[in-house]
Amino acid sequence: MMDAALDAVIDGAKLTFVEVSEVWVPKEGRLVLAEGDYGRHTDFAKASGTESFAPGEGLPGKVWAEARPVVLKSFEGSYFKRTEAAKAAGLTSAVAIPVFAGAELKAVLTILCADGDGRVGAVELWKDSDGLLMLDDGYYGAAKHFEWVSQHTHFPRGQGLPGGVAASKTPILMRDLGAGYRFIRADSAGKAGLTTGLGMPVPVPGGTSYVLTLLSARGTPLAHRFEIWDARAEKVGRDGGAVLVDGICAREGALWNDQTERRVLPWQGYVGRALATGVPQVDGSGAAGIAGGYTSIVVLPIHSDGAVSHVVAWYI
Amino acid sequence: MQKLVVIGAGMASGRLLEQLFAANPDAYDVTLFNAEPRGNYNRLMLSPVLSGEKSFAEIITHDEDWYAAHKVNCRFGEAIVKIDRDRKVVVGAKGEVPYDKLVIATGSAPFIIPVPGRDLPGVVTFRDLDDVEKMRGACGQGKSAVVIGGGLLGLEAAAGLRLQGMDVTVIHLAGHLMERQLDPAAGYLLGRAMEARGIRVHTQGSTKAILGHARCEAVLLADETTYPADLVVLAVGIRPEVRLANDCGLEVARGIVVDDAMHTSDPDVFALGECVEHRKTCYGLVAPLYDMAKVLAKTLLGEAGAYEGSEVSTKLKVTGVDLFSAGDFADKEGREDIVFRDPGRGVYKRLVLEGDRLIGAVLYGDTADGAWFFSLIKDATDVSEMRETLIFGPAYQGGAKADPMAAVAALPPEAEICGCNGVCKGRIVEAIEGGATTLDQVRAETKASSSCGTCTGLVEQVMALTLGDGFKMPTAQPMCKCTDLTHEDVRRLIKSQGLKSIPAVTQELAWKTPNGCHSCRPALNFYLLAEWPLDYRDDRQSRFVNERNHANIQKDGTYSVVPRMWGGVTTPAELRAIADAAEKYDVPMVKVTGGQRIDLLGVKKEDLPAMWADLNAAGLVSGHAYSKGLRTVKTCVGSQFCRFGTQDSTGLGIKLEQLLWGSWTPHKVKLGVSGCPRNCAEATCKDVGVICVDSGYQISVAGAAGMEVKETEALAAAPTEEEVLEITAAFVQLYRETAKYLDRPYKWVAKVGLDWVKAQVVDDLESRKALAARFEISQSVYRKDPWAEHAAADERPRWAPLADLTLEAAE
Repeated sequence: MMDAALDAVIDGAKLTFVEVSEVWVPKEGRLVLAEGDYGRHTDFAKASGTESFAPGEGLPGKVWAEARPVVLKSFEGSYFKRTEAAKAAGLTSAVAIPVFAGAELKAVLTILCADGDGRVGAVELWKDSDGLLMLDDGYYGAAKHFEWVSQHTHFPRGQGLPGGVAASKTPILMRDLGAGYRFIRADSAGKAGLTTGLGMPVPVPGGTSYVLTLLSARGTPLAHRFEIWDARAEKVGRDGGAVLVDGICAREGALWNDQTERRVLPWQGYVGRALATGVPQVDGSGAAGIAGGYTSIVVLPIHSDGAVSHVVAWYI
Repeated sequence: MQKLVVIGAGMASGRLLEQLFAANPDAYDVTLFNAEPRGNYNRLMLSPVLSGEKSFAEIITHDEDWYAAHKVNCRFGEAIVKIDRDRKVVVGAKGEVPYDKLVIATGSAPFIIPVPGRDLPGVVTFRDLDDVEKMRGACGQGKSAVVIGGGLLGLEAAAGLRLQGMDVTVIHLAGHLMERQLDPAAGYLLGRAMEARGIRVHTQGSTKAILGHARCEAVLLADETTYPADLVVLAVGIRPEVRLANDCGLEVARGIVVDDAMHTSDPDVFALGECVEHRKTCYGLVAPLYDMAKVLAKTLLGEAGAYEGSEVSTKLKVTGVDLFSAGDFADKEGREDIVFRDPGRGVYKRLVLEGDRLIGAVLYGDTADGAWFFSLIKDATDVSEMRETLIFGPAYQGGAKADPMAAVAALPPEAEICGCNGVCKGRIVEAIEGGATTLDQVRAETKASSSCGTCTGLVEQVMALTLGDGFKMPTAQPMCKCTDLTHEDVRRLIKSQGLKSIPAVTQELAWKTPNGCHSCRPALNFYLLAEWPLDYRDDRQSRFVNERNHANIQKDGTYSVVPRMWGGVTTPAELRAIADAAEKYDVPMVKVTGGQRIDLLGVKKEDLPAMWADLNAAGLVSGHAYSKGLRTVKTCVGSQFCRFGTQDSTGLGIKLEQLLWGSWTPHKVKLGVSGCPRNCAEATCKDVGVICVDSGYQISVAGAAGMEVKETEALAAAPTEEEVLEITAAFVQLYRETAKYLDRPYKWVAKVGLDWVKAQVVDDLESRKALAARFEISQSVYRKDPWAEHAAADERPRWAPLADLTLEAAE
């Protein structure tokens, strides 16, 4: 049977939507680079390795100072500090996600994307406003029509991927983005084919709810494998660690199993490290520990009530 | 090779074939029929497919390759015409297939409620992929769906449709969701979680009709509520699909009857799954199906195997809702509960013990130990040794008994004590060391325990730890053994937290018992109806027997019936009706009461509705002689007939009674209106007494004439009847809003002080009018005759004798 969800992560692996992933951590009052996956962009990697950001400075510093996720669609004339290096690498936009444990900033994850007509996908940031999820900002690559429609839509709590994530306070992986997006898909059918979406809450101090969604398209998948791990004590009990509650992989198919549990313990692999440290993990080395034989992995822990409650991972 | 024909390619038969092929792949030549045009898939995962959280491809258990590899002859999408047991053939729409052994695994069929409109397009069930496709097809932003049935399936459908962009309403017949698997407390939390997703939940909703012309458009309930519906999902239940078995003459009860080896009444025909009845039990969950499959595979291979029934547990597949239920948790004599609540995290856990065994578990919000509890239930483990810490799960077993003070002492300064206001232990200690030595001072200084109040005990422990002997633990009387909160605390929290049901109160305020007790439930019922007259529905089961039955139970188990006589005035016609009723129902005593009413004593319970109907027909209504509410307004004859009367005391008494009747109050309320200071109506020992004078009316309150005798105290002088009515309504409303349940007005006034009451009810005109207005809102609901409601024909069977009434506890 034709299955668009699997196709969305299986098809074409040549053009990736995300080009660079970085983790910035606070150290002595500044954000310094902890890890980065720069792929082929070695010059940009060099420019980044020597960089650090004070609160309010550059994109990571802005995220820190404002305690909120930020989408930056153009570097020209912005507060982005590495504009020249990014331009040389063909990187045109970025999304920065703060990882807060209560009021403490554990890290900032930045994702940089390259422009190009063939790249369709979306990274969206939704903000809760009186129970309605409104688009705060988003990067859509070539999916211009999708961008326009997203700007003119909203989701009540419980509805659609953003509303579902906000209501359940849980990351959600959708294979079919549903009726909320249906008219959009119909309009760009066969071209965009945005079907698979990973939505996750982005907790920040102050009570505002943000939801980050990564929408993957056939042809230029945002990632080839997605995983959601549940680490809440009320789920994992005395054994601790985290259990895989959902996942889909271009190579291995459905990763969830309602009969057999998959569990990682703190420090066990990339997910375990994110669990133990509370800090995102990024590796683009193609190391043996990256599941599914992929070359890159991004692991993002989500904190709640002073502990890591969930971990999401995507593999490129 | 023997021929095996299997009818139904669901999860039960799928597991059977797996077991069979694993044990002996060459034992049978298998033909598999399925009504659906596809093979076996994981039906449990249909709801995530509906929501978009899974794709159908992911939930296929056996694909074409699997069937080919095992040489299964697939006849999918083909209806069975009949089973001919004499010739041992199954006749399909496309031809017949002979069998040596036949397995019937036809599963279950959705129950269709017999209401008009059930056949309209847009009305679907939720059993298979075709249903999911229909639902997905109907989805769209701004469209509405109504799910009838708030069980497992209905709620999963509702959550899925909501994620797909629909406005969703769940209609559920029972008082709380999933009532077969959950108790009211967990049901309340589940309802709250659904509403947080934007799903409207209508409990106690009975569907009357599905409305529409070309397709469904709306759902009409028995209470006349209408919900728009572009889609209606019927998820009220399932029943075993037994038509084929019936047609071929197999023994069928509720399901196809099978023995422990899964034989039907025909030795060559077997059945398993949801279509069977084993030891008088039908199953609708997957675990028993798999157990059956294991046994039937053995039976088919000539090995010994016996299915002995299954314990079942339930989990709900709605993302972000953690719920677990297993075993039996009905309230029965000899059972004990252990309850743990954490309102901040929305956690509720209840274990039910019988003797030394765990027999039931309901977990909401924290299901980590579900599997462990389930194994204790299944294995009937003796839990007496771990009873004290059982509720905390396996992690705590073998440890020392927890000392709450030690636990608080061990907390670091940054540990949060008050979750509502984010106050940590260090901040509280700092405030105490800075001079805050009472709870109120700590509250004022830090805000700790000033919102929901459930951390009050913790704050007090921190104070005790910090102040040592300098701190005396407060001795405020808790409401009952179910809670450490006082009546006043509970009233305050019901209001501040917007709690509108008994399960909401017991969960959010961390009740120690599952459903409250005979002491707190009537009080909660009153507090809730007084606070939320328009939202809260009176809970009859939370009332004392007299209020439940709208009559006073007597020492011999009979009841007394007292019709209302407004102001003590009656007519010949009313007296005739009372006399007729007394004769017709063989009333042994007719007595005039101290409150100027006629009491018919010795009425049998089963006669009550008919007697009420007769009295209603004569225009008489309930006198509420049994209620914590307005009883009587006693009057003298007043200026109309009396030489000394200064005002129309009878007329005013009638007006007061018509204003106040039907209202529920913390305790009973009696009034008197005397036409002059001679006080023939004895108004000065009533809860509210009015003495008419030449200049108008003197209102006094807080009298008593029972175990304690007390004269009323002057409240106000009013020049007009209108003002008397307004002040009285305001006084009664203030009493309703602030008194402790079961405090008579004189006790309440003694506590709060008459000056404070005067300030609210007399001096502050705005406050008086607001109180009177709130009283009127409440009366818009409660100013009605309960007899009329209970005398209705469909209510009458409830009054038939069921048990020895003398065993029922009077108040």
